[in-house]
Amino acid sequence: MALISTLLALRKDPRILKLPPYLSALCILVGVAWLLVLPLNEYSRNTYVSENALLPGQVHTYFTGSEHNVFRAYRHEVASLVDMPLEERNQKLVHILRSNKLKAATQSYSYAASGRNISNQNVYAVLQGPRADATEAIVLVASWLTIDGEVNHSGVALLLTLSRYFKRWSLWSKDIIFLISGDSTSGPQAWVDAYHDSHSPDTIESLSIKSGALQGAVAIEYPAGPWGHRFEKLHIIYDGINGQLPNLDLFNTAVSIASGQMGAGCTLQRMWKHDDNYKERLQTMLRGMISQGLGHATGPHSAFIPYHVDAITLQTVGDGWHDEMTLGRTVESLFRSLNNLLEHLHQSFFFYLLLQANRFVSIGTYLPSAMLIAVSFSITSIALWVLSGRPTSIPSPATTAPLKDSKGPTEKETNKTAVTVVEKDKDKSLLPLAALEVTERSLFLPVAFITLSHFLGLFPLYIFNNTTEAFLAPAFYSTAILTATLPFAAAFTLRRFARPTPQESTLIQCFSLLFLGMFLSALATVNFSLSFLVGIFASPLTFVRGLHAASSPSTPVPFTTKNRLALSAVMSVVLAALNPVVVIRAATLYWGRDIVQVLVQAAEGWHVWGLWTQVVVWLVWWPAWFAGSVVVAGGLFS
Amino acid sequence: MLSFLPLLLLNALIPLGSANADYHERLLLRPLPQSAVLASFNFRSNETSTAFEEQNFRYFPRSLGQILQHARTKELHLRFSLGRWDAESWGERPWNGAREGGTGVELWAWIEGQSEEEAFSRWLTLTNALSGLFCASLNFIDATKTIRPVMSFQPEGNHANSSNLHLLHGTLPHEVVCTENLTPFVKLLPCKGKAGISSLLDGHKLFDASWQTMSIDVRPVCAAGGKDCILEMEQTVDMVLDIERSKRPRDNPIPRPLPIEEIACDESKPYNAADSCYPLEDSDGHQAAWNLTEIFGKPLKGACPLTAEEGENAHTVCVNSPPERTIQVNTTGPYLEANLAGDTVRCYKLPTGADFDLVFPSQQMTTGLVLATPPLFAARSINGHGQERGSVQAVIRNPSTSQAVEFVYLESLPWFMKPYLHTLRAHVSSSTENPIKETYYRPAVDRKRGTHLELRMLIPASSTLTLTYDFEKAILRYTEYPPDANRGFDVAPAIIRLITPPSSDGKGTYLRTTSLLLPLPTPDFSMPYNVIILTSTVMALGFGNIFNLLVRRFVGADEVQGTGGLKGMLVAKVARIRGMFGGS
Repeated sequence: MALISTLLALRKDPRILKLPPYLSALCILVGVAWLLVLPLNEYSRNTYVSENALLPGQVHTYFTGSEHNVFRAYRHEVASLVDMPLEERNQKLVHILRSNKLKAATQSYSYAASGRNISNQNVYAVLQGPRADATEAIVLVASWLTIDGEVNHSGVALLLTLSRYFKRWSLWSKDIIFLISGDSTSGPQAWVDAYHDSHSPDTIESLSIKSGALQGAVAIEYPAGPWGHRFEKLHIIYDGINGQLPNLDLFNTAVSIASGQMGAGCTLQRMWKHDDNYKERLQTMLRGMISQGLGHATGPHSAFIPYHVDAITLQTVGDGWHDEMTLGRTVESLFRSLNNLLEHLHQSFFFYLLLQANRFVSIGTYLPSAMLIAVSFSITSIALWVLSGRPTSIPSPATTAPLKDSKGPTEKETNKTAVTVVEKDKDKSLLPLAALEVTERSLFLPVAFITLSHFLGLFPLYIFNNTTEAFLAPAFYSTAILTATLPFAAAFTLRRFARPTPQESTLIQCFSLLFLGMFLSALATVNFSLSFLVGIFASPLTFVRGLHAASSPSTPVPFTTKNRLALSAVMSVVLAALNPVVVIRAATLYWGRDIVQVLVQAAEGWHVWGLWTQVVVWLVWWPAWFAGSVVVAGGLFS
Repeated sequence: MLSFLPLLLLNALIPLGSANADYHERLLLRPLPQSAVLASFNFRSNETSTAFEEQNFRYFPRSLGQILQHARTKELHLRFSLGRWDAESWGERPWNGAREGGTGVELWAWIEGQSEEEAFSRWLTLTNALSGLFCASLNFIDATKTIRPVMSFQPEGNHANSSNLHLLHGTLPHEVVCTENLTPFVKLLPCKGKAGISSLLDGHKLFDASWQTMSIDVRPVCAAGGKDCILEMEQTVDMVLDIERSKRPRDNPIPRPLPIEEIACDESKPYNAADSCYPLEDSDGHQAAWNLTEIFGKPLKGACPLTAEEGENAHTVCVNSPPERTIQVNTTGPYLEANLAGDTVRCYKLPTGADFDLVFPSQQMTTGLVLATPPLFAARSINGHGQERGSVQAVIRNPSTSQAVEFVYLESLPWFMKPYLHTLRAHVSSSTENPIKETYYRPAVDRKRGTHLELRMLIPASSTLTLTYDFEKAILRYTEYPPDANRGFDVAPAIIRLITPPSSDGKGTYLRTTSLLLPLPTPDFSMPYNVIILTSTVMALGFGNIFNLLVRRFVGADEVQGTGGLKGMLVAKVARIRGMFGGS
């Protein structure tokens, strides 16, 4: 009981409101530190194959010998198709697939994004598994153009050779679908949408041949031309759209087959050289997080993952001694493993961060990091809510120390606290009157402001997704200028109506942070990286405050009030630098990307892939930033 | 003692029964495009009804006959199927689809019973008995998997003599048909795979086929006026063999890449060289070489002595191919060759007691294969994704340019797949008229019975009918999941029966779609176990503490008498030592 009453007494203590900023700072520090220790051996694990049925690398592969001669011939064929018109080229591919006794068809699609028309054609063929009953299928994809826009010569040729080779086997218990997509991201998307009948039939052709439920997909990229090129390593790309990941078992199987059975090293996240030291593990992890956070389609496999079809892309990199047969045998072994599956891949992790080809961190270990950052917003938000319900200045009855400057009793005499006697259960107590005052929170303006700022976020969302390519750059820079000046304009305008009052500005910040904190903690369970990145960039919003002129000039003026303008200016500059638009521009400059290309891709993502990153940016991050900036800018004009 | 009696009777009644009791078998081989061959085995054993009633079995297998009698089953149809019929390349189905089933096991029967309950209990008897006979999980056909079709099935036999017949139908789409089902199937034959065409049936080749179906049909056939009834049992095995795959010897089944010298390269390609070879495609009329022993893995061991000696029925192996196809006969015994049904069907009377082989050499044909177009094409798939809802889409195409087709579409869905009937849409590409003429719908009851939906529809000439409906996925109790819960649940194929044009043989024209895989929301099964472990731990801790408090009496050290000081310690020590020696 004693403890509870002590706590209750502490509740009204003004010192308790001093605590949250430190607590928030601690959360952020621990959150970041948590992430930094993940690459250490103590916090990460070696990967392992969970699903017993996969048996990676346990079968002998027979894709050698005369298949190599056939492969070379097909590679010449593919090379001769490069300059042909689309229809003619695809008819030729269909012809080859049909002569391998498969059912083949084409699918035309067209998308419109940023005023561009993305139209192309997919070629696909179904190998009806001799032991299959049309209920399950696995997909082998080779897009005509690779992610980097080169012609996927050897990849397509390998797909054709494998289609001929796989047809001879009796052991397939699942159908195998061979897909040559027109491009590396939209083509597979159109195909997989049509496969699940969630496409718009006006622009995307329905599939004439279908099979059963897709169990897995493997994409190959090997752009070596008709004279071949030996590669050193396989680069495994695994990020799906919106940061969804394939089951770790699929990735592990690929690594285990490629490195264990074929002797070809595996690499990920464009870490061509990986010495497995702390720095490189951390770098791999951060690259993975950025890729996951952006949520864009990283390869032909990305489109499959939202449909709960586990998929990866195998890309050949470097100069080495492995040739197309190594890749072909890797794919053969991988398909034999997938063919063994009795159930959909479910045993292993769907949420992980990879540090290296065979080291990972699971969600249970890394999740607290993003959660702590999200919690820092919630803590501040609660503190601000409590603060907004306080009378502007409560003299603390607990304070016995003399006030600053120690002017002695004279000061104390003059500022005598008004007190009253409260009687309860025959006990009497003296309480300051101010503590008994009920402070009403005026919620209308804060709620309206928060709603409006989120509504404002819809404008950039709409503009960037629906502007043609030529106008994207002007649109971006005008948005940058507008968003940079808007907080000051808003604060200035509000100030003319003598709003917001200190309480209102506290509440605005409280609601904004509450929403941000709640959203980020929910997002962390789905897309950890995006939540973490937004959390880091928004973290200063926890510490900035709207500074107002002191209401009662007689009290000792605190430091913050005295240097109100200077502090507000500093905070405004910090926030201006963390404007989402500025952050995006800085990031593109850092990675040497063209901003228009980034925006074009984002718009394509919105219209084609179903990308949600811009919703998070414009409807969560930007409104939070805007609300914080207006509150801070209020300090300049009060 | 009962088993003795029929045996004695059998000997006495042979002359009486033999007037109608007989046995026929026939193997029909039909080459299909893409170097495939369809082999249709047909075995027919007849027994007169009177002999059957008296348990006097000659050609009819006793094991099955007694089951039918016990379960009062008047007509039985049992199917074991694997794979899918590729109508696009292979054309019309054998027997117009009347002798095939959906993937897995399918069973339907007309059972005598005074009431529905009685018929259903006999149905359970039948499924359990057949389950034992055929080593199949037929006993899993329970109330949730049984339906009573209204329009889709018509009895094939004459049932004038029986009344109160109930049609029951059940499917097991997940059942994997394999050798253990073939062995009892072959055992039902009089020659039991030792002679006759059944000696070709080999599990390795049968289950390596691209498509195969085994069927058993029992029906009473009566002369006009319901007199002179016989019970006819027809057993068929249809399979489509991929010649190239079947020819591979059993001791070397791996399709290793051929040595480059054995591959025909297209030398007209500019890049053709020692290291590049564009494989030459088979020209259109090219027929690969094969023979019976190669593709069935064992030789045909002469005729079954029970088949007729003369007449059409004596010719038990037939080949349906263009007349120009060369066929060589390889046997040491005497055989006869005859043309039945024009010159496209060549039939052979097998020698008795000598191996018989047909050799088809590699040949360049001038005439292509003529395949009859099937009356309808049907495909069905599950659309949408996610754990909550989905939709089923069935696309049915009528290739005929002149004739409209009327058909019945039957869906038997498991109870955990709950269709929304208001979302049922049927749309014909060529007209706006609603193609659904009649609907029979019996909704599912959770854990009691599945959905039964029958639609009579009309599809105009050269048009496509698209049927869609949405469904909701139920959440099962965690004990209701099978061990491979994450695989998904199989949904039985839809059955389509054609009403017009009517079939010529009275058996009906059927086609079936492939089965579907329905992914249901599946819990992470490690979670319940974690919960169990955690709760057990918490309970153990809580229980342990409370139990301790209840059964132990806690007493202060000073409250215990005689334990104070040195004396007390000594007394306690002595007591312990005495206790150790069992002293009281």
